Amino acid sequence: MSDNLVATGRPPLRPVPARKASRRGSGQGDAVATLVVVAAMVIAMQIASGHVPDYIMPSPMSVLHATGDILFGDRMHVLVTLARLAAALAFSLVAGVIVGAIMGMVPLVRPFLRAIIVIDTGIPALSWMLIAVFWFKDTETRIFFILTVILLPFYAMNVYEGIRALPKDLVDMVESFRPSRWQMLRYMIMPHIVPYIFITTKSVVGYAIRMAVFAELVASAIGIGSRMSLAQSSFRIDQVFAWTFLLVILNIALQWGVSAIEKLFLKWRPEVAVR
Amino acid sequence: MGTIDPVIEIRNIHKSFGGFVAVDDFSLRVEPGEIVALLGRTGAGKSTVLNLVMGTIGPDQGSIRVAGFDPYAQFRELKGRIAVSFQTDRLLPWRTAVENAELGLLILGVPKAEARTRALAWLERVNLKGAQDKYVHELSGGMRQRVSLARALAVDPAIVFLDESFSQLDHATAGKLRRDFHRIAKEFGKTCLFVTHRIEDAIEIADRAIVLNPGARIVLTEEITPELRADPARVRACHARIAEAMGGEGEADDQESLAPVTAG
Repeated sequence: MSDNLVATGRPPLRPVPARKASRRGSGQGDAVATLVVVAAMVIAMQIASGHVPDYIMPSPMSVLHATGDILFGDRMHVLVTLARLAAALAFSLVAGVIVGAIMGMVPLVRPFLRAIIVIDTGIPALSWMLIAVFWFKDTETRIFFILTVILLPFYAMNVYEGIRALPKDLVDMVESFRPSRWQMLRYMIMPHIVPYIFITTKSVVGYAIRMAVFAELVASAIGIGSRMSLAQSSFRIDQVFAWTFLLVILNIALQWGVSAIEKLFLKWRPEVAVR
Repeated sequence: MGTIDPVIEIRNIHKSFGGFVAVDDFSLRVEPGEIVALLGRTGAGKSTVLNLVMGTIGPDQGSIRVAGFDPYAQFRELKGRIAVSFQTDRLLPWRTAVENAELGLLILGVPKAEARTRALAWLERVNLKGAQDKYVHELSGGMRQRVSLARALAVDPAIVFLDESFSQLDHATAGKLRRDFHRIAKEFGKTCLFVTHRIEDAIEIADRAIVLNPGARIVLTEEITPELRADPARVRACHARIAEAMGGEGEADDQESLAPVTAG
């Protein structure tokens, strides 16, 4: 697990162009660049597939056919992976926020929780997968466990950092009304850490997809990971490419979805123009 | 006034930070409905006195009673009895103007609908009608300070503390807000203690201006009556006495800001 996924301070300012017209222009530029790169990859695949056997590099057309087959025949596996991902992400988010809030608000237990998180983040994902196979019989429990122990520390650490970054002048202002601990949490701390929760989700969602597929590959007979394993064992590289293509699309769609929800929740936050 | 129990009573307090004596044997009585200004140069101890009275810090010696309670030892007992307007607006950026104004009411446990109605009424009183749905970054500095004032007054506190609340604003905006605050405070009978380094703040708002030297030692007390405010010559003389007591400090170079004010 890479440490750079854990934000250590305030959510970074996202540079955006100052004028709307140039922002639109930048978006179009990004789309054009992406299309150019995808076209170049398709051309390269087409050329390479003419010079090497099919089991090394399939043609773009065969990958397209395999993608169609997956979408019509294997949709259930995509949904299963998505459901596992959603459950683990939701639980990690809630539990991570609780753990992070306890770390931020209860100094007595803070060093112990921080030590647990440091140890957890030091354990390789593969170790957790193998341990889960030994510990749990049920496949769903295994995958849920693996994803949770990997994702939860990110939320806990970022929420903790968010609480540490609470502006003292605002805390003093709320304190001047003599709030209860719950009211302080509700009116000051929770809204303040929302950006931290979103930046964590955006940071881990791609990583979570990779871990979910990896966990399915090791511990499950259904889901994208298991289908990729099946494709590999039956020498269907076109299907491996098709699944990979779908995973990239899935990642982009999830990132876009999280960003859309973030915009809804953080509509109060002005975008900062950095020149 | 002397027969009524004081709302704020400070007796012989001392407060040191390390070796630095911030407050040395300071005493003060503020009567119900009275507005008292504490003036002084930087480091005079006026903000420390305010922090002690607000209960943010406790005194090393002496006693403080605010509405009958020790503000430090009985911190939560003052819920709903006091409110503070700070030097900067301290608005929560994720809340709109009206959501900020109703914050204190919600903390007091006022039902959401009633809190909203009362907050809207206070926004109207501070001339912010129509700006209730704007987020903080959409408001000007003066508008933000008005929201901050509405937030403090909306909880209907008996006592209001102002901590340099007008000092970040330009003279014209500060003058308008001062007059609005004075009108509201007198109309609703609020007791107010405020610290400022601007002499015009004290002359336009306070019933009594107290000038402090380092260690919060009182060097001058000026009674400021409505008659004094209505007389430019007396205002200028009062201003000169306060400025002299402050050692020539105090931002009052804009004589237009010292225009006569009608109380109430």
